[in-house]
Amino acid sequence: MDEILRMMVPLLEGCRITVALFAVTLCLSIPFGLLLALARISDIKPLNMAVEFYNWIMRGTPLMLQLLFVYFALPAFGIRLPDVTSALLAFVLNYAAYFAEIFRAGIQSIPKGQYEAAKTLGFTYVQTMRRIIVPQMIKRVLPPIGNETITLVKDTSLVYVLAMNDLLRAARTIVQREFDMTPFFIAACFYLVMTFGVTRVFNWLEKHYARYEE
Amino acid sequence: MNEAIIKMENVKKSYGELEVLKGITLELGRGEVVAIIGPSGSGKSTLLRCLNRLEVVNGGSISIENNYLVKDGEYASAVESRKICGKMGMVFQQFNLFPHMTVLENLLEAPLVVKKQSREEIMPIALELLAKVGLDDKANAYPNQLSGGQQQRVAIARALAMSPDIMLFDEPTSSLDPELTGEVLKTMRNLADGNMTMVVVTHEMGFAREVAKKVIFMSDGIVQEQGTPDAIFDNPKNERLQIFLQSILR
Repeated sequence: MDEILRMMVPLLEGCRITVALFAVTLCLSIPFGLLLALARISDIKPLNMAVEFYNWIMRGTPLMLQLLFVYFALPAFGIRLPDVTSALLAFVLNYAAYFAEIFRAGIQSIPKGQYEAAKTLGFTYVQTMRRIIVPQMIKRVLPPIGNETITLVKDTSLVYVLAMNDLLRAARTIVQREFDMTPFFIAACFYLVMTFGVTRVFNWLEKHYARYEE
Repeated sequence: MNEAIIKMENVKKSYGELEVLKGITLELGRGEVVAIIGPSGSGKSTLLRCLNRLEVVNGGSISIENNYLVKDGEYASAVESRKICGKMGMVFQQFNLFPHMTVLENLLEAPLVVKKQSREEIMPIALELLAKVGLDDKANAYPNQLSGGQQQRVAIARALAMSPDIMLFDEPTSSLDPELTGEVLKTMRNLADGNMTMVVVTHEMGFAREVAKKVIFMSDGIVQEQGTPDAIFDNPKNERLQIFLQSILR
């Protein structure tokens, strides 16, 4: 028992890093993804194409490669970032692209009549988006956004290649030092608890949005 | 006729090769209830949608209350045309209520967001409008909890909340079950009795006949005949109109 308690200290510390990476990435990539989605559907052609290209790059290359690129390649161009910032940058840039495509699909699924009703009531484009389209879009994209969010919990473990002591790396360090597999099980439990929490939050959100039907 | 509130001059509209409006010239007076009838594909809905810029015309002029929305194919600025179109409310075939808002919120939304009116200011007006369309007990319901007829009455109230000078109706009863059209037509009749200027694209010949002061018959993108309901329905001169009336009244 003492053994396990002793292991808990570094594992909990690793958990803290994992949760921090997860939370900051989520909080930044969702608004950034929404901006990308709005740019993607705007009337400005060069902007559409730029975002389409961006999403292609971000979704078309491995997240691991992007992490390594930000961490190792950017310094070669004279851009030096702290470890945590590099990891966050890569995660946010990558996840924003996925969220952008989900938001875009959600926005485009709202019937044309909603835009027309808003227009005849005098709404500007920005008002229409903010008050009518985006709020309805949120309900529709909750399931895919929930999926991505659960994936993000687990993807945070990729930072182990950057020598950051997240949950997985903390566990692996103990395993390698003590030839005891217990930390892997504990880490698995922590991930399960986190994804369970995320699932519950999204279930609650879906229930909340079920108050109206379309 | 009273002073003209809507003037259209040689309005043209095409979708690619397909010419939907082939030069429409019309004048509609203030307080008039005008019914536009005609077979599907005749361009009547397009004509209505051109009035508030849901469709962009390819040529001609439209003026609303003596302000040009479009003059010889040139549109007014975005700000100006929003101001002009703000004088018109519109009711759609598919209602197009905002599903994520309650009935009351649907009514409050545009005055709050567009006119920047305060809640205190608009609330009594919204409640009064709901009472007027007979739905004051549904203020906190969501649109999907209402019947089609109730939704359409909310849509009418929502448009009225912006206190328009003109109301446009695009086949307001066409997607309703027959037993629900009556309640919507009754609401529209009340509106007409209150001297609202109304342009109604409709298949309800009874409504056109009883409520409209003027009936316009369109076919093939042109106005074939216009006149009082009596003249149109009892004494049609245009051959297409005669055929149309025979086919629907049979």
